[in-house]
Amino acid sequence: MLRSVKRLVATGPLLLVTALSVAVVFGMAKAAAQTAIKEIKFSDTKLKNGLRVIISEDHAAPVFAIAVNYNVGSRDERKGRTGFAHLFEHMMFKGSENVGPGEHPYLIFSNGGSMNGTTNKDRTLYFEILPANQLDLGLYLEADRMRSLEITGPNLDNQRQAVQEERRLGVDNQPYGKTFEVRDELAYENFAYEHSVIGSMADLSAATVDDVASFFKTYYAPNNAVLSIVGDVDTKATLEKVRRYFESIPSQPAPAVVDMTEPVQTEERRTTLEDSLARLTRLDMVYKIPPSSSPDADALQVLGTVLSNGRSSRFYEAIVRQKELSPSVNAFSGESRGPGLFTVVGIVTPGKAVADLEAAIDAEIERVKTGPIEPWEMEKARNNARSQLVNNLGSALGRAITLGQDALFYDQPGRLNTTAARIAKVTPEDVQRVARQYLVKTGRTVVITVPKAAPPAKGGL
Amino acid sequence: MRRTTVAVLAVSLATLLPPDPALGQAGPQQPPSTVGMVVKGKAPVSNAVLAVTLPHPQEATLANGLRVMVLEDHRLPRISFQLIIPGAGGYYDPAAKIGLSGLTAQMMREGTATKSSQQISQALETMSANLNVGSGASGTQATMSGSALTENFGRLFELAADVLLDPSFPADEWDRLKTRTRAGLTQQRTQPQFLAQERFSKVVFGDHPASRVAATPETLDAITRDAMVEWHRTRCVPDHALIAFAGDITLAAARTLVESKIGAWKKAGAPKPPVAEPVPAGPPKAYLIARPGSVQTSFVVGAQSMTRTDPDYVPLTVANRVLGGAMGRLFRHLREEKGYTYGVGSFFSASEHRGQWSASTSVRTDVTEPALNDLLADIDAMRTAPVPEKELNDHKRAIVAGFALSLESPEQLLGYYVQSWMYSLPADYWDKYPALISGVTAEQAQAAASKYWNASRLQIVAVGDAKITETMKKRGPIEMYDADGK
Repeated sequence: MLRSVKRLVATGPLLLVTALSVAVVFGMAKAAAQTAIKEIKFSDTKLKNGLRVIISEDHAAPVFAIAVNYNVGSRDERKGRTGFAHLFEHMMFKGSENVGPGEHPYLIFSNGGSMNGTTNKDRTLYFEILPANQLDLGLYLEADRMRSLEITGPNLDNQRQAVQEERRLGVDNQPYGKTFEVRDELAYENFAYEHSVIGSMADLSAATVDDVASFFKTYYAPNNAVLSIVGDVDTKATLEKVRRYFESIPSQPAPAVVDMTEPVQTEERRTTLEDSLARLTRLDMVYKIPPSSSPDADALQVLGTVLSNGRSSRFYEAIVRQKELSPSVNAFSGESRGPGLFTVVGIVTPGKAVADLEAAIDAEIERVKTGPIEPWEMEKARNNARSQLVNNLGSALGRAITLGQDALFYDQPGRLNTTAARIAKVTPEDVQRVARQYLVKTGRTVVITVPKAAPPAKGGL
Repeated sequence: MRRTTVAVLAVSLATLLPPDPALGQAGPQQPPSTVGMVVKGKAPVSNAVLAVTLPHPQEATLANGLRVMVLEDHRLPRISFQLIIPGAGGYYDPAAKIGLSGLTAQMMREGTATKSSQQISQALETMSANLNVGSGASGTQATMSGSALTENFGRLFELAADVLLDPSFPADEWDRLKTRTRAGLTQQRTQPQFLAQERFSKVVFGDHPASRVAATPETLDAITRDAMVEWHRTRCVPDHALIAFAGDITLAAARTLVESKIGAWKKAGAPKPPVAEPVPAGPPKAYLIARPGSVQTSFVVGAQSMTRTDPDYVPLTVANRVLGGAMGRLFRHLREEKGYTYGVGSFFSASEHRGQWSASTSVRTDVTEPALNDLLADIDAMRTAPVPEKELNDHKRAIVAGFALSLESPEQLLGYYVQSWMYSLPADYWDKYPALISGVTAEQAQAAASKYWNASRLQIVAVGDAKITETMKKRGPIEMYDADGK
């Protein structure tokens, strides 16, 4: 069947300057009127087996994306099996009843697409993006592994090694690689968030084929997943295909709900670690904040923007530019289903003291709590939210991931349609209030990573 | 607007079915090309021909020599631009001042006659727009790029024009940039991949400017504000430059914008700066950078490649994809079959002068020797045997069908046409590119591999624990360095 793609380019007399272009050329003194950003439409269906299916049509390019968000992350792991959710993610590419080991990625790539999987504390995500004529291929591959993952000892051993190599690459052979682990272990008391996603070498070595099989049965059930499809597809026809491929996969009893309770922290925690791969000292400070579903999450996001977004931010201006205590200081509140962390990270400029960097960060945090927040700082946060929405509109994959993840985390797949409006509602007083409430020493954990002089290398000629 | 239809290769289902159904049982009879993978051939692959039409940009040349290009796309309320200035890249830095062009580019947005660095940052970030000026350590051109929502693009472009035409190079900002750069140079040396790439470039290109990867503390000391002012005055000229826009804008609007905001950009009347070819590298050696505390060995293995317009570029693109692309031989062999590594791949660059080809990976220290042997054996197999037809077709289809994905991004499409301008490719080059790729035969891919990946040309660089010295010695005369490159 021959398909042609819609015209992407508006044609017309070239000298006819549209109203929009007039604004571009002559609207220099101030911004042109805000362009309305179109609302993202989607369908939201639950299949008989509990699989939640979200479809959002967009015929801008002959491309579609599939995201499958499974409701399992490292927070679901038990002691002695850390790193398991991520190790399992690797197993999902090693074959199922009708798809050979490695055949899934091979088929995606050799048909012009791309794909990957990724695991964090809160979810495991699989995705692919493909040319529009390969919808059946993408759905078949995802359904086959949800239905019938084949788990063998050699595949497990091989991916165990790949994951252990991933740990060496990203943690053990990297300057500051261990800092994150030390930081989370100290900041959290609840095991769910205390341990790292990559896990320990010993636990990875201990994982068995039986562990993999029972994990699959428990967590990789249709009722524990959200399937989202975005792009050049027809909603009705796509839903029919989804039913055909997925609806007969049996549901399973819901997995145990993880207890995310975190004891209230009452005093500052602090540690120093030595790192033989680092050359500069690094300061990490994390403050306990509520989950991203909290009404305070938007104000915390704006707070991160004010403190560290770009070179107009307060950290950059005061600490990087004026005091030159650090080449870069970042602050952000990541997305978190459970108790979250507001993170501040800075490298110490050679010749400067980490204590001075810490004092300078503290001073800027105090200034937010007490002083005014400028109108342009609020405008910056609002425009960031608008820009992110436009970027998301330009990417079928980004949208598929967001729709699915927001369905899973908040039971609000359309949450991205409200983000810009929610951020616009945040007031300077809200930002000050969350800074005063959460950025307190009694709720923080400080980790200082210092370079460790390594023994001189042997060898040489 | 001329539009061309490109047929994406049809794939016949038959080619995906293994010749022997027993293969589905992961039998031992697999050909080497499917190592680390079992193809059951049951998944439904569409063999429909997906017709993809590439939009074409519109272009005009201004009186000062500046070329304007617009890829109009009104799907989203966003506009991006890139300005490319040949002759202003690190390639042309004086040898004692490596980093001059890059630092000049960075300094351009640190203040103008009318705006301080902070005012520029605040104006940009309040709009959530971005503006970057940069120049690679070894590239021949400087680039300014930016993007904003349509409603803010006029203001962004006004700022960009000021930064381009009237930078003031404030002395205090220069001191700050030097401090930040020094910290960055220190940080860089903790990364094994940086250390490997730095040595590899030196080995492959010798003293040719293509060997440059970053400034050094010594060259940083040698760069002065006066040198930057002079560099900007003489090198940032419109004579041979391109400004390309993508997104929610017409050619007429872009042209009006450029003429009104950077119409004062004066033609220098200078010829386009020349580009020289690097001399061929010396005989292959093994280079070891001892990195204390390293738990992995990071390899870079490779040689010089070719220019972008060399006819070998297309067959080597296909051969490189088979060997080191997504789900290529190196990945399936070193990661999926052997579990030596998390990631492995091969890459090549080609520009006005010969670039470099390299395969790289990081493996745990104790498998350094078998991993290196396998890596070199996989490279060698590309030279000594033709790629089986199915494997070749799969990778060619991957490249061609991947075009559909780039239609999502006006910026990415614009990138193709910027390349066309840079290397004077034919106007219909990208329309015909799928056919060029599809036409590569197994013999041509093998010939390209033989020419560029011959063992007599391949340099081997490793960063890791000194205990791998004996392994490296087996691979030729050895040179050793420490993590400071000494």
